[in-house]
Amino acid sequence: MAVVVVGLSHNTAPVAIRERLSFAEAAIPSALARLRAQSLAEESVILSTCNRVEIYAAAPRDPQRTLAALRDFLLSYHGLDPNLTPELYGWHEPQSLEHLFRVASGLDSMMLGETEILGQLKRAYALALEHHHTGRQLNRAFQRAFNVAKQIRTETSIQRGSISVGSVVVDLAEKIFSSLSGRAVLVIGAGDISGKTARALLSRGASEVIVTNRSFDRAAELAAELEGKAIPFDDWVGEFGRIDIAVSSTSAPHYILDRPRLEPLMRLRRQRPLLLIDIAVPRDIDPDVNQMDDVFLYNIDDLQTITEAALRQRREEIALCNELIRGRVQGLLDTAPENSALRPTTPRPRLDNRTTFP
Amino acid sequence: MFGFTDRNLFAVAVGVYGISTLYAILLWRKGFRTDNRVIYILLLAAMGLQTIAMIKRGFSLSRCPVNNLFEATMFSMWAIVAAYLVIGLVRRLRFLGAFAAPVLFCVGVFALMPGLDTQDPVPRFIPTMTSLHAALVMLSYGAFGLGAITAVMYLTQERDLKHDKLRAVLSLFPPIQRLETVTWQSLAVGLALLSAGMVFGTIWLKHERGVFFLVDAKILWAIFVWLAYAILLLRRWQFHSGGRWFAWWAIGGFCFVLLTFAGFNQLSGIHNP
Repeated sequence: MAVVVVGLSHNTAPVAIRERLSFAEAAIPSALARLRAQSLAEESVILSTCNRVEIYAAAPRDPQRTLAALRDFLLSYHGLDPNLTPELYGWHEPQSLEHLFRVASGLDSMMLGETEILGQLKRAYALALEHHHTGRQLNRAFQRAFNVAKQIRTETSIQRGSISVGSVVVDLAEKIFSSLSGRAVLVIGAGDISGKTARALLSRGASEVIVTNRSFDRAAELAAELEGKAIPFDDWVGEFGRIDIAVSSTSAPHYILDRPRLEPLMRLRRQRPLLLIDIAVPRDIDPDVNQMDDVFLYNIDDLQTITEAALRQRREEIALCNELIRGRVQGLLDTAPENSALRPTTPRPRLDNRTTFP
Repeated sequence: MFGFTDRNLFAVAVGVYGISTLYAILLWRKGFRTDNRVIYILLLAAMGLQTIAMIKRGFSLSRCPVNNLFEATMFSMWAIVAAYLVIGLVRRLRFLGAFAAPVLFCVGVFALMPGLDTQDPVPRFIPTMTSLHAALVMLSYGAFGLGAITAVMYLTQERDLKHDKLRAVLSLFPPIQRLETVTWQSLAVGLALLSAGMVFGTIWLKHERGVFFLVDAKILWAIFVWLAYAILLLRRWQFHSGGRWFAWWAIGGFCFVLLTFAGFNQLSGIHNP
């Protein structure tokens, strides 16, 4: 039996098609049962996320016939036109295993190197395992995939650095404060990015958000969304004694915070560090405040430089990850039992020979 | 071992600590972005040589080699590097070797200075009070040293957070707030240990010489060190003078201890009879 994969992802299909082929989690066990009942696969796992729908299977028949049968199953299950093929891909070994390892490692994700997919893959595998739809082939393949994902995470920089403004701010805050738990965040100017940044900080433990805006209604609206507190725009300076992080994005044509204004406020803070995020253009905060002790200021260019560098670094790591994956697939195939289809019989092409159904 | 005396072997180990220090500078320039095993292997090799030197000395003297300042310093270094090698098993913390290496090298050079390795033909069993005094004072210097190391880390990270922001995000350093906390806590523990060590020294002085205080270079120096650290901690506690200022003083204080310790030890009548 060989491991094969059939599916589509954000790389091959727009969301309008992906959503038509997706499986609700509750429906997956019955779909897996149908695959077995129709003798399409002895072992199978269905991975269905917002960015991909894939069926991993092991069947005793010829891999090409298995791929064709799985493609037909996927389309007919959702009542779709059998001509919907350019978006679907199908691979057998070793590409199927390389693909699985790449998916587990976040190399095939929309946000390169992200880790959420590993959790989704683990849940998909656990669901199939729970309903006894996996066997020796898929168990070995998935366990190895999880192991490879861990190895890639620890031995390469593919997941190092953040690639969104919100995550970069969280990273910076975690380099300054011992813990984000209990930290108070002041949002000056209720813009979209500042809202997202505050949300990212809250998700990592920040306990309080105070929102201020020239339009109090907009401040109240964002504060309600963030379960925080809105204050009038003229009162934000009074909060500086207790906040730890300030995110500013007003449309003021001049600095709203400069060194003469901040120095007396820092004395109130008793030298606690202060993280200032200035995402406004023109800038809200005088860059000179960064020279002050315990004040750390970042503007939109700083944040974008960090995200771009992190993304560049991740891209540079892809070749190393692919090499590592190929080695691990080779290792898996070489150590497969004598009677297993996981043992190679023919030379294996590289993963970059992507194939789709004709 | 190849005709080397224990002292020669220790000198070679210090040489390897020196190479580790040079490598640490390279890691520093790279911004501690990668988990590096080279520094770990270098320090492991140096520790191996040092262990052989200590065993050799122990067998040649038929006693545990902790009876003079050279041996005590060598033992302290061995404890530091052993602690690092255990901590360094965690990949993410392996970069700490870049901080341990310069300290070990400096302390190793200090240990090799002439006049520290005085040998008695017969083992000299030190009275409990003096042992406690020496052990507590040595431990206090270790705590001040740890405070200085974390202060260096604080300043490095603080500089990067302000001026080399990408490097700060990608580095493996702990948050600066935690570094500052560890720094002042280390200094506070060091001060407590030094106080206890000085109390035992005073009791010994009363017992041996009948006085609580003697005008002696090392005693005056110890009082000065105690006062300097006490004022530093008091300022931080009373006036919240933390951050960069505090880190620089923590480093300066330890440099002063390192640079003047041997000299004042030589000048002291009771510590260098």
